[in-house]
Amino acid sequence: MKKVSILMLIAVLGVSLLTAFTPATPAEAPPEQVKQTLVFSSRLFSPPQEQEYFINEIIKPFEEEHGVIVNFQIIDDQTLLDRAAVQQSTNHVTTDIVVAHNSRMAEWIEAGWVEDMTEVVAGWTDRTFSTAFEGQTHMDGSQYFLPVGADVYLLLANNKALDYLPAGAELDTITWEQYAEWGAAVAAGEGEGKVCITGIPAKSWIYMFGGTGLSYGAGFPDVNSEGAMEAWKVWETIGKAGGFVPTVLNIDSCVDPMMREESWLTVFHNARAGQVYASNETAFTLAPAPTGPVGTGSIAGVSGYAIMKGSANYDLALQFLEYLTRPDIQVKIAKGTGGFIPPVEEALEFLGNEAIDEVINKAVLVLENGVVSGVPAGDYQDWGAVKQCYDDIFEDTILAGADVTQARLDEGQTCVEDLLKTE
Amino acid sequence: MAVAIGNKSFRNVWSKAIPYLLILPVVVYYALFWVRPVLKTVFESFRDTAGQFTLQNYAMVFSDPDFIPAVRNTAIIVVFSVTLEFLAALFLAILINRKFVGSSFFLFVAMVPMALPAVAVGAMWLTGLTAHGWLNSLLFYLGVSKKIYWLAGSEWALLAIIIIIDAWQVIPSVMIILLAGLQNIPVEAEEAGYVFGGNFITVLRKITIPMLQSTIQTAVILRLISAIQIWLIMVLLMGFNRLPVLVERIVYYHEEVPGLDISFQMASGYTIIVSVIVSIAALLYLKVSGAFGGNQEARQ
Amino acid sequence: MIKKKPTSLAKIIKSTIFYLFVTTLGVGILLPAFFLVSLSFLSTREAYQFPLPLLPALSAKYSLTFGDRGYLLSVYDDFDDEYQTVLDTAELEKMSVYMRSQIGAPYDIPDIEDRIAELESGTDPVYFKARKNLLLNYDLFFKVTRDAVPALIRSLQIAGMTIVISLSIGGMAGYAFARYVFIGRDALKFSVLFVRMFPGVAIALPMVIILANMGFYDQPIGLSLVYSVGSIALTVWITASIFMGIPESLEEAAQVFGATKFQAFLKITFPLALPGLAAAAMYAFLGAWNETVSAIILTQFNPTFAVVVYQTLLGAVGHVNLAAAGGLAMAIPSVIFTFFIRRYINQMWGGVTV
Repeated sequence: MKKVSILMLIAVLGVSLLTAFTPATPAEAPPEQVKQTLVFSSRLFSPPQEQEYFINEIIKPFEEEHGVIVNFQIIDDQTLLDRAAVQQSTNHVTTDIVVAHNSRMAEWIEAGWVEDMTEVVAGWTDRTFSTAFEGQTHMDGSQYFLPVGADVYLLLANNKALDYLPAGAELDTITWEQYAEWGAAVAAGEGEGKVCITGIPAKSWIYMFGGTGLSYGAGFPDVNSEGAMEAWKVWETIGKAGGFVPTVLNIDSCVDPMMREESWLTVFHNARAGQVYASNETAFTLAPAPTGPVGTGSIAGVSGYAIMKGSANYDLALQFLEYLTRPDIQVKIAKGTGGFIPPVEEALEFLGNEAIDEVINKAVLVLENGVVSGVPAGDYQDWGAVKQCYDDIFEDTILAGADVTQARLDEGQTCVEDLLKTE
Repeated sequence: MAVAIGNKSFRNVWSKAIPYLLILPVVVYYALFWVRPVLKTVFESFRDTAGQFTLQNYAMVFSDPDFIPAVRNTAIIVVFSVTLEFLAALFLAILINRKFVGSSFFLFVAMVPMALPAVAVGAMWLTGLTAHGWLNSLLFYLGVSKKIYWLAGSEWALLAIIIIIDAWQVIPSVMIILLAGLQNIPVEAEEAGYVFGGNFITVLRKITIPMLQSTIQTAVILRLISAIQIWLIMVLLMGFNRLPVLVERIVYYHEEVPGLDISFQMASGYTIIVSVIVSIAALLYLKVSGAFGGNQEARQ
Repeated sequence: MIKKKPTSLAKIIKSTIFYLFVTTLGVGILLPAFFLVSLSFLSTREAYQFPLPLLPALSAKYSLTFGDRGYLLSVYDDFDDEYQTVLDTAELEKMSVYMRSQIGAPYDIPDIEDRIAELESGTDPVYFKARKNLLLNYDLFFKVTRDAVPALIRSLQIAGMTIVISLSIGGMAGYAFARYVFIGRDALKFSVLFVRMFPGVAIALPMVIILANMGFYDQPIGLSLVYSVGSIALTVWITASIFMGIPESLEEAAQVFGATKFQAFLKITFPLALPGLAAAAMYAFLGAWNETVSAIILTQFNPTFAVVVYQTLLGAVGHVNLAAAGGLAMAIPSVIFTFFIRRYINQMWGGVTV
């Protein structure tokens, strides 16, 4: 018995050895339908429902129309770059299209791994890409990335927190001072802080604070200007009142804490806010980000499509991108995937009146009327390190309930400026 | 005559060569796939951004404010987790080796934690340790309504949590090596110990553990080496920087802030320092435990 | 016979205590895993409740009434013992999707229309029940994970090859270290381990580049070659310590009876070394099965199962129940492997006949 099972084990291993040495033919595709395959690797649309939607509603029609296969893969930004490095340096360029975040676009362009699309885009007359992101999608006047899935920051509140809303505050026009007061009131009433920010380093605190800063006339990134100081004071108020969730340092995304009701208040990424909102529309309220003296400030993020240099399927890749960036398709993508903003001006005509349109509308409102900044990551050696300059200030002053001093902020500003690229 | 001598010496050489020939494939394998990047990293650790020889990378690592805490945290984790994991694994292995009815199934149960992939372990502990997670839910059902903020405690509390949940997953892998070693101790040997009046403890000390010596050395050295290089579970639960440990610093410069001018230098500096630390620790352990040269007796 | 009874009673008590202890231990070990399994069957709504339900509910109770935007849907909450509102919409499709994906208790649009008809005819609110789809997360996981089956097969192949490579190459060396005394033995044995001491994260990328340049880009065997580097070192040490524990005299005895050295090895030492080989195989299997860093970079059209799972779950924020299901789907083959391999690890002395 034992011998038999050992023999079987050896046989199985032997067979696996043999089969693996045979050349790796795409065994899944029978020979009669050897279709052209386009490899599309994306950081965007990573939530499983979004993947499902993108595959079924966006990719499938294209596959059927053109008789091709689009191999859709979700990969994070860093791995995308690592992978591109290997593919480019060993001459095995198998990825055709990549989708990168705007904070990483400079790395792609500088490495020379993506195609210049300026002339192609000039030929598409039916769409005008939002100019808000040209700082990242373009370099030296040439366009390398086509923007998709833009985001701004929205206020999301659990309805249980509405009881504590300061007198006179209206959700759609709430100011940052009122927001801080609100967070403090919730903490006092519940005996536990309920404001969520991402306390794990190098996540999105820089953007959450950045929006406050912009509302007070600060730049981005700007740690220690007069406006920035006022913005820090808003967060200081919450910190001193013990208004942050106790587990704030373990939070890398406010989605889970908001859904678990560990936290009740947050100002975050509109697509993720939309996701929480959709999980229980009657339990949450969504509003534009709070305002300051200058307006509603928000950092705007975006992702971008680009074609890999050396792609064997350049023409097909181009056709696919032409399809994906059509205004109606951009809207379809945005609505099916949590409420990103379609960064094509013509797209807004295609919005309807459903709840998801409301999310998008509020986001568009912020993008159009607010004080918005992109992410100038390309100016810095490493954007993650810049984020940490902000994270450190949060951790050692605000969370600790201490005063935000000008000296500490100047130190933070030096931290950021030291990271500027040296050239 | 001359031919015979030649033949004899050939045989002699041949039998001397056998162990080397048996080891040769490993050497060739490493040479093909592994040595080059390692050497490259070693060279890079001595070069500055301009490609000149320098010791500055090491100076930068040593003056990194996170270096000392990283060494300290690593040392604490290694001391406690290796001890804890070894004792627990030895206990489990001896228990299972008693071959009680169902011991085979119990072995399976005890091995389950090691079979879980990082993504499952991450989901398990993240949902467990959060304020509204299953650990607090369990406490709630047991009548404790006060929420415990597991991951918001002091550094010591965090270290303790890391050590415990790492042990949960790693004990089986230490155990299976020990158990495999226990299989080769004849039952008669232990029985003889009892016949001569030994109790469980003395038999364990005088018979089982000495006979298990080389297996214990293997199990501990392998665990020691990977315990020094712990990082994934910490980053899964707390992100980078919260509780710096040595290999986490390497990954930090590789993955989290790869763009800094100094990232590559820091990463290669840390890499070499870590491998030196691990080598010294391993060497020390092997010397102290008598693994070198002294195992001729163990073989007979 | 009768005399023995007291001792056997004591024995029963003793063994009861023993089994109680073993069971407690087993339950303790499995407790975290239990929550993971339970989580993978919870709906998203359940998975984000506090206290977390210990087991998934088998059905959901709904109530429907008029709302501001259309119809207001509520779900019964066992813990709070009341209906809680979840959705206010006029779109029936949206309601149906919500019931399927968030509550995990699907209800078709025509059925919703019937309930609405009841509501419109004066029953307010309308109460109804729907069966839970317990496999919801697994359904979604395999729907999103493209080519899961070929990836699974590929991963098994890769793990199998890793075991073959590391056991053959590592086992030989392990035998040499255990059985021969030769110059440089300790130094060599220690250097073999250096592969494990050098942080692998630092050289993952360069190693992958070397393999890609050797023509192993997107080839499963290439990954086995990468994974074997680490597991060979383990195998050498584990097998060496096991071979050391097997008395050489047994082999010599067989040779006295006319067996060649190789035959003696095959008939005597090898079977006795099986536990050690099994333990080493376990390490090799898990190392290969769970690895993603190299696999993502080295593969394109032939991903491993770990890679496709990573791709599905990378963005599973707010969907921890799906992450649990995906993690478990990935764990099942290794658990099965564990189930079989344990028999060789826990092999009885003398269970092998000479």
